[in-house]
Amino acid sequence: MSFRLGLLGAICGLLFGCSNLPEPYPPPAQRPFFEASTEAVRILNMSDGDAEHHFVKDIDATLQGGTWRWTGKRPTIRLRPNANRQLVYSIDFAIAGSTFQQTGPVTLTFFVNDHLLDRVRYTSEGRRHFQKAVPAEWLAPNESTTLAAEIDKMWTPPAPGGPPLGFILVSLGLEQLGAESK
Amino acid sequence: MKALAALAGAAFTVAACYGLGSILAARLGAGLRRGEKFPLAFVLGASVLHLAIFAVMALQIAYKPVLIAMLSVCVVAALVTGDWRLPAKEDTPLRGALRYLFGIIAVAFTVLYLFNAWVPEISPDGSSYHLGLVSRYLRAHGFERVTTSMLLAFSEGVEMLYVPAFAIGRHSAAALVHLAFLLALALAVLAYGKRIGKPQAGAAAALMVYLSPIVGLDGTIAYTDVATAAIMFAVFYWIQLWDEHRDSRLLLAAGLLAGYCYAAKYTAFVMLVYAVGFVAWRTRRWQPAALLAGCSLTMVIPWMAKDWIYLQNPIAPFANQWFPNPYFYVLIEKLWTTRMRTYGLQNLWMLPLEVTTRGEITQGLIGPAFLAAPLALLALWSREGRKLVVPCALILITYFGNIGTRFLIPCLPFLSLAMLIALETVAPALALLIIFHAVTSWPTVVMRYTHAWSLQGMPYKAALRIIPEEQYLGAYPQYQWARMVEKHVPPGKLVFTLNGLPDSYTTREILISYWGGLSNDVGDALTTGWSKPWQPAKLSSFILPDQKYRRLRVVQTGAATFPEEQWNIHEIRLYHGGQELPRRPEWRLQAWPNPWGVQRAFDNSEATRWRSWDTLHPGMWISLDLGRDEAVDRVQLELSGDEWDARMRIETNDENGRWVPVNATIEERPVRYSGSIRRSATYEAHLRGVDYFLIRDDDFGASDYAEFSGDWGLTRLEHAYGATLYVVNP
Repeated sequence: MSFRLGLLGAICGLLFGCSNLPEPYPPPAQRPFFEASTEAVRILNMSDGDAEHHFVKDIDATLQGGTWRWTGKRPTIRLRPNANRQLVYSIDFAIAGSTFQQTGPVTLTFFVNDHLLDRVRYTSEGRRHFQKAVPAEWLAPNESTTLAAEIDKMWTPPAPGGPPLGFILVSLGLEQLGAESK
Repeated sequence: MKALAALAGAAFTVAACYGLGSILAARLGAGLRRGEKFPLAFVLGASVLHLAIFAVMALQIAYKPVLIAMLSVCVVAALVTGDWRLPAKEDTPLRGALRYLFGIIAVAFTVLYLFNAWVPEISPDGSSYHLGLVSRYLRAHGFERVTTSMLLAFSEGVEMLYVPAFAIGRHSAAALVHLAFLLALALAVLAYGKRIGKPQAGAAAALMVYLSPIVGLDGTIAYTDVATAAIMFAVFYWIQLWDEHRDSRLLLAAGLLAGYCYAAKYTAFVMLVYAVGFVAWRTRRWQPAALLAGCSLTMVIPWMAKDWIYLQNPIAPFANQWFPNPYFYVLIEKLWTTRMRTYGLQNLWMLPLEVTTRGEITQGLIGPAFLAAPLALLALWSREGRKLVVPCALILITYFGNIGTRFLIPCLPFLSLAMLIALETVAPALALLIIFHAVTSWPTVVMRYTHAWSLQGMPYKAALRIIPEEQYLGAYPQYQWARMVEKHVPPGKLVFTLNGLPDSYTTREILISYWGGLSNDVGDALTTGWSKPWQPAKLSSFILPDQKYRRLRVVQTGAATFPEEQWNIHEIRLYHGGQELPRRPEWRLQAWPNPWGVQRAFDNSEATRWRSWDTLHPGMWISLDLGRDEAVDRVQLELSGDEWDARMRIETNDENGRWVPVNATIEERPVRYSGSIRRSATYEAHLRGVDYFLIRDDDFGASDYAEFSGDWGLTRLEHAYGATLYVVNP
């Protein structure tokens, strides 16, 4: 009986104890550093997985409703478009009813690499879209390019401590005329 | 011609199984009746033939002539010995009207099933892994060591029979072999009813099984569930024959079949438990049960040995915690089995309605007629009924390990018989139930009350190849993806996908992101490339007392909030005086769990990370032997954004070699990576031999790969049918 038990124990030992765990490893070959290359011409949606990588300033870290973010005074993003011709500055945004009640009509000024592209006055709340062709000489292919939209009047919270708010930003970026849509 | 080849491949394989089974049944003195002969001999022969094909595979001689010779020997031997012949007719006919009614229904469904099984095979699992591995083995003329997919680690007892059928008639031949198992199952239930003196109940029960939408669907594609059910019912049948005759030779058949259950599907092994228990209970002796169990091992051991040799785990892909291996991760197994237990159902009380009439969550339905299943309780009042209820209950227990509707199929023969034997004398009730079942199981009717996976109609044009095979298959995007891979990817190269494709239509190896360690690692690196929470997001620095250390380890002490939560470390770096210590070749790295992945925490790549691949729990560690005493004042860990509950401390060895905590202070700060994690990710894939990616347009990250293919270092080879094939730039 004890022999059988021993045999059983040995089999169990073989089954459960004989695992092929590896010997300690040396450090592996060290991986090279890869420079981030250029991007295709793109519109940056606030919901994009890599959106935050492109923020320069004045865009809230919290994505609201899965699609938009509050801005500060001059929300700015950085892109590296691989072209500079036939580009169109494009922005989807909204002026919130709650902020409009306090600020009244606002003026937005649009910039590409700090060049003033246009200035538009908005006299009512609601969703807005603005786009305008960008002069090719304002940017260079494969170079870092900043896009911004500055609001003239910020909403200030009634109680002290809260952050002042600009507008609701949905997307901002560049489109290339005649480019194949994805 | 293809249609005829498919039919020939299936017919020849089925004939060989029947022939071999007939010879065996005769030698065992089974004395099978006419109605029992085909189903029981066929399934018994299948068990032995599968073992012979296993041997051919192991010997790497799986050439078409060898397989044809093997089938021929079985058929010729049965003809020569006279065992092929059916016994004389018996006389337990059904009553006239019932006989014609049941006959018409059975013929209608048989025609439906025949055409569905005969069409070019494109079912999800059938055309991918069941026949994918058959096709692969045939190309290699035997078994190949495949470590990249959990799905290919299962025992492949039914697939072994698909091998000769596929070699002769390709994909449809395999599905037609499965259809033969469906016929055998229904005929076995019918025969059992006759044997216990309940021919009408037996006939009705056979139709309850046969007409069930999920049975009809599964039994006409190259899956294995219906075959498994047939084998399981055959075990029961042979055990009952033994109980009737008490001829121990019959236990050999039962034992072989019980072992074949394991070979067909792990969970079907429950029939060995049943058989051994039943025999031991009836004889009150251990020897007959031991004989049965011993026979079963001849079918079980080859599959265990194969997995142990190839995968370091005899019951792969399960029990990876007990048999640690680099091929399948514990967490993936846990999450998978957990998912299979619920399919996302909030409440298991929804199951009866779900599996009988809805079937959209559990992928198929057994039919509304099975809402009458409580009738089976009536069976408890009869001896024959109780005999059925016990195996039914045992099988039902294993069902809760995977509540997909098709995993109920093995229960159905027992359940149907148990439901209906009490109604043996109430022919109108049987007739009404079967008419209702037939109507509610016919494809055009099923589509009226559910969108569940089910047969779609009678595709006779495709079956007879009036619609050419290429044209029929060409309508399926997944087939086109397989052709795309075949066209662009050189032989021997791996193709990474997130959801797979029909492997059996390509000769290239397809990786699916969640089914194996290699795929999990490549998938994790790729996801790190586009998903911010995966990327390095924070630095945890442990400031140590400035002294020399020989060995250090990071010990994890936190517990997970969610089962999916892991311990992840992108990089571990050591510093002294503000300078990082170079990683010398003398360093030695270890980790637990997942010791195989420890180098990923020391490779300088932000796209890779060591992952525990087990749910975060206290006691996990990564250790580092510096090979000599070195001054260290800071250990810095780069952690992902999805690291929530991990808590860590640093330990070192005391003078007795025991691990003791180091009195360290912790600093944490966010980190931002400025390089191209995308390119680092594809570089890692390339290092692991994965240069091709097939990304569907609706896959996670698809838009990122498309939009930033340059940053990923990918070249687009083709975009068609909603998917893109990329290659990593050299």
